Amino acid sequence: MNELLYERALVWIILLPLIGAVLNGLLGRFADKNLVSALGVGSVAGSFFLALVCFAHLFTGMDAANEHGAQIAVTAYQWFHLSLPTFGGGVHEVGIDVRFLMDALSGLMTLVVTGVGLVIHVYSLGYMKEDPGYARFFAYLNLFLASMLILVLGSNLPVMFVGWEGVGLCSYLLIGFWYQTPAFAAAGKKAFIANRIGDFGVLIGMFILVSAAGSFEFADINSAAPSLTQPFFLGTWQMGTLATAAGLFLFLGCTGKSAQIPLYVWLPDAMAGPTPVSALIHAATMVTAGVYLTCRLSPVFMQSPVAMGVIAVIGASTALLAASIAVAQKEMKRILAYSTVSQLGFMFAAVGVGAFSAGFYQVFTHAFFKACLFLGAGSVMHAIGSHTDADIFRLGGLHKKMPKTSWTFLLAACSIAGVPLFAGFFSKDGILLGASELAYSPEPLSANWVGGFVLVALTLAATMTAFYMFRMYFLAFTGEYRSTGEEGAAHGAHDHHAYDPNPHESPDTMTWPLIILAAGAVSLGLLGLPTEWHLTNWWQGWMGHSIASVHAAAEGAEGAEESGLTIAYWTALASGVLAMAVGIGAAYKLYYNRADDRFRDAMPGRLYQLMADKWRVDELYQRVILGPLAGLATFVGWIDQTFVDMLLTRIPSKLALLSGFVATRIQNGRVYAYGAVMTVGLAVVSWFFVTPHPNLEGQAEGATAHFEAAAGMGYAYRWDFDSDGTWDAPTQGSEEGFGAERSPSHEYAFSALRGRVLLIAQPDGDDARVLVTEEPRPLPASLLPAGWMEDPTGDATLPSVRLEGTEIVLRRNSAVFSTPHGAIADEEVHLGIGDHVIVGRPETSRTDIAVRGLVEATVEVENAFGNRAHESLELVVNVPPERSEPAQARLTTATDEVLR
Amino acid sequence: MSTPNMVLLIVSGLLALGGALGTVAANRPLRAAVALLVNIVALSGIFLSLHAQFLAMVQLIVYAGAVVVLFVFVIMMVGATEKVPRTLRGLTPRTLSLVLMSLVALMLVFGVVYVAMPAQDLPEDYGTVMGLGAVLFTQAALPFEMVSITLTVAIVGALAVGRGRTPKEAEAAKAAEAARQLEGAERLAEERRISAEVSAHGGH
Amino acid sequence: MAVEFPIGIYIALASALFGIGAVGFLIRRNALIQLMSIELMLNAVNVSLVAFNRAHPETQAGQVFAFFVIAVAAAEAAVGLAIVISLYRLKQTVETDSADELRY
Repeated sequence: MNELLYERALVWIILLPLIGAVLNGLLGRFADKNLVSALGVGSVAGSFFLALVCFAHLFTGMDAANEHGAQIAVTAYQWFHLSLPTFGGGVHEVGIDVRFLMDALSGLMTLVVTGVGLVIHVYSLGYMKEDPGYARFFAYLNLFLASMLILVLGSNLPVMFVGWEGVGLCSYLLIGFWYQTPAFAAAGKKAFIANRIGDFGVLIGMFILVSAAGSFEFADINSAAPSLTQPFFLGTWQMGTLATAAGLFLFLGCTGKSAQIPLYVWLPDAMAGPTPVSALIHAATMVTAGVYLTCRLSPVFMQSPVAMGVIAVIGASTALLAASIAVAQKEMKRILAYSTVSQLGFMFAAVGVGAFSAGFYQVFTHAFFKACLFLGAGSVMHAIGSHTDADIFRLGGLHKKMPKTSWTFLLAACSIAGVPLFAGFFSKDGILLGASELAYSPEPLSANWVGGFVLVALTLAATMTAFYMFRMYFLAFTGEYRSTGEEGAAHGAHDHHAYDPNPHESPDTMTWPLIILAAGAVSLGLLGLPTEWHLTNWWQGWMGHSIASVHAAAEGAEGAEESGLTIAYWTALASGVLAMAVGIGAAYKLYYNRADDRFRDAMPGRLYQLMADKWRVDELYQRVILGPLAGLATFVGWIDQTFVDMLLTRIPSKLALLSGFVATRIQNGRVYAYGAVMTVGLAVVSWFFVTPHPNLEGQAEGATAHFEAAAGMGYAYRWDFDSDGTWDAPTQGSEEGFGAERSPSHEYAFSALRGRVLLIAQPDGDDARVLVTEEPRPLPASLLPAGWMEDPTGDATLPSVRLEGTEIVLRRNSAVFSTPHGAIADEEVHLGIGDHVIVGRPETSRTDIAVRGLVEATVEVENAFGNRAHESLELVVNVPPERSEPAQARLTTATDEVLR
Repeated sequence: MSTPNMVLLIVSGLLALGGALGTVAANRPLRAAVALLVNIVALSGIFLSLHAQFLAMVQLIVYAGAVVVLFVFVIMMVGATEKVPRTLRGLTPRTLSLVLMSLVALMLVFGVVYVAMPAQDLPEDYGTVMGLGAVLFTQAALPFEMVSITLTVAIVGALAVGRGRTPKEAEAAKAAEAARQLEGAERLAEERRISAEVSAHGGH
Repeated sequence: MAVEFPIGIYIALASALFGIGAVGFLIRRNALIQLMSIELMLNAVNVSLVAFNRAHPETQAGQVFAFFVIAVAAAEAAVGLAIVISLYRLKQTVETDSADELRY
């Protein structure tokens, strides 16, 4: 078929739920409920259908021994372009495209997401029917699905990160869906914050990878993986290799998103959201995003034994820890939440020991049985009328009342416990096999003890898994219903919600999804049959191209066939079966048809209490992190109130009040005070009138200067234009005479000049003046342009200037002088008034130096009172050459351009 | 300037200055009034030396004959016949005013005292009743009538201001004053309360 | 009459009288004496008006002006004294320092 068609289909897989989300979100509350349902479910159904079509296309092409395996890829557009420094110096030009890719890994994941998503959407039709936020729910759910698809189908890290953040956001929106209850809103916040801490890790890991590999695309990063064994420096401290650093940081993100130690604490609280949300997000899809990421970048992780070891140990520890907590819980959803954390631990343990495809297989099967379990719990809650959770100790006998729910629940429980031939058995078996292979391996990927630890821990966890699952099943579904009538009332008095005394089976929209999921939980084992039984392992075949694995590394050397029934294999099989048997057996003995908790009675009290209290991890975080943060916030708030408020508000207000206080004292209502003020004013004005004020201003044009003095009452003036000490106006050479000439003009002759001055044009438009004296003085470098010297490197001597008779002599030294006619080569230049030169190298910015004359004029003023005052002014005039005495060696520059 | 004129000027000038100083520096108001009278009479003499006969007479009639008498009436009515006690209240502004104003006045005096202008021949009826009357009733007729109105208005005004309150008006004024006091106290309390609230909230 | 008319003496006298009147107004506390000082100032102005008229005797404008000044000064004295009486009724004293309620 046409490749383009599949590429388009790929984009529409994502777009359909997105459109559904937007429409339902904006217009849903005004529309008919059926329309909202149709849009919400229909968009996912369409997406699922397209995913099937694309995967089928891939499937037929998958047998081809293509280097990359079959894939469909489509690039939408280039998002942006970066220039990034690399670790070895140099710069990468990195383009970030919005690009989607479907290969075996993402194709299967897409199928899971859309398929399970579709089933859960249908379930929600019944479950959320009476909720007032119906349209909002479907909008969020669609948005989540769209984000998850972006995450899974993204072909490079940034696009994946967009989806990563999107699902985090939708998780927050959906957990806190009933936000009117503060506890639920707080749970949503907790989820978002824990996720954000992890996102920091993802970002750092992303940056390390792009700096090393030069691209954000998964394909490029994976093929550059062998180069990541260079050491990684944090400043000067070496922190392992690039692969280790990237791997650890990315894993931090996975601990946030996929609820591992230390960031798992949000998942149990997330049960505050509606049950379909728990099923979809926290069982089937979002939480597995971390595993997906590690599988996607498996070549990178494989390069770092340290990272792999860390992942394995943390995964196994989480599995053990969570299982131990689940054993002591009494509410269904809570048990299932911890079970999810535990199962995720299994998946990461698988990844850590190198069994990537086994881990991903667990993702696949877990989606089905966990979703089925959650929806079953939701069905029970729907039947008993609880919105929050279902206490198994108040249930019982539901097998008779809700047979469909009970049977599907049982099947899913068998699957998760690892009953042979169910799907969960094969996936768990694969994980244990990977662990035991690592334990026995002669060349371990990380270390043998890691394998041993994982094996033991996972076995214990598997035992506990089987135990708590069947504990839950037996207590809830076998025996007699414990919430009818008086017993129910007695229990109901403790909590606030009494259960429906007569629960009945859920409607079809809710039971059909259960049936579908249970069928998957049972049958999908057929996909991943172990190669040791000489049966076709479809799964490994598909995954082989997308996921690295220990087997591939080994098989690549020998050939593609199975390694046979080794001791590692038997160890794994035995552990798995033993765990299941012990767990189910113990649960049967303790809880079948019983109502009391004999397990708790048998355990030491303090230990049991710790397990029931989730090992007090939340309290630890509160003490160590959140409490001090709150304290810091309070402290900072105190500083703000005391200092910032003081400085910015109280002090200015006090100042304003103070100044007002002072200013108002002037008005004391008494006549003598006002009179005093008036007298002061009168005195000042009188003083102004009694003293004369010349206020001399002047302007020069060419050789003529025009002066103006201030006009005043009874003022008389006399002028001295040439600063020779004798008064020139009103009558020439007069001594005593004052006249009325207020604004005379005077034309200067050469002999009237007081001195010579160089005008150096400055960049800001003004001219700097340099007085020329008989002593040679250098021109200040600050007034010359930057390129004034001949030779930029090396020392440069400033040009100097001196007065010789009536001429100016400029000594060039290291400067570059030129005229409009060309450069000046002489060492000394003789200039007269009106000449100018240009200083600076031709290719740089140059400035003009002009030679002018300096004059000083004085005016004396007498007022009516007989008081006198005088003022002087300096002006620059340009006396034309015919007024000057002849100079000696002149420049041949045309000076007529100077005359304006 | 002829000698009799000069003598008249000097005597009147000295008397005027003495009277002015006496007005300003007198202990008792009544003595100040008498000094004012001396000053006015001396001024009348100065007007005479300036050939302004009509004005000299008008000065005597109006100022000495009416204004000073009015002052004496009021002094007697108010009973301010005793010595005025001296206090130090407001010493600084008063000293400042005294010094500055004296300086300004001295500056003026010594600035202009030597100025002289060319003498001119006086017209026939300069300063006489006929001469001034001719101007007053022709060119300055409008201001003349306006002055009449001004005087009437002044009479009415003085009556209105000086009337005082009837008993009923006094009661009403007292009640209004009490109400105003109350309102002022209330507003002050309100403002105090608001500012206390604001500072308690930390200015948010 | 001499060739020159020594107007300076008259203006100096008027300035001195004005200064004395102003100082008296600013310094004294008794309202009546302050009013008398005001009359002194007005009289000083009259002197200077008439003196200038004597220097430019073509019109008699200066004397006419002085005439009006006298009239208005009389009116002002009347009203001012009425105010002083009111003050006395209110505060039982004629000191202007007691009239300080129009303030901050």
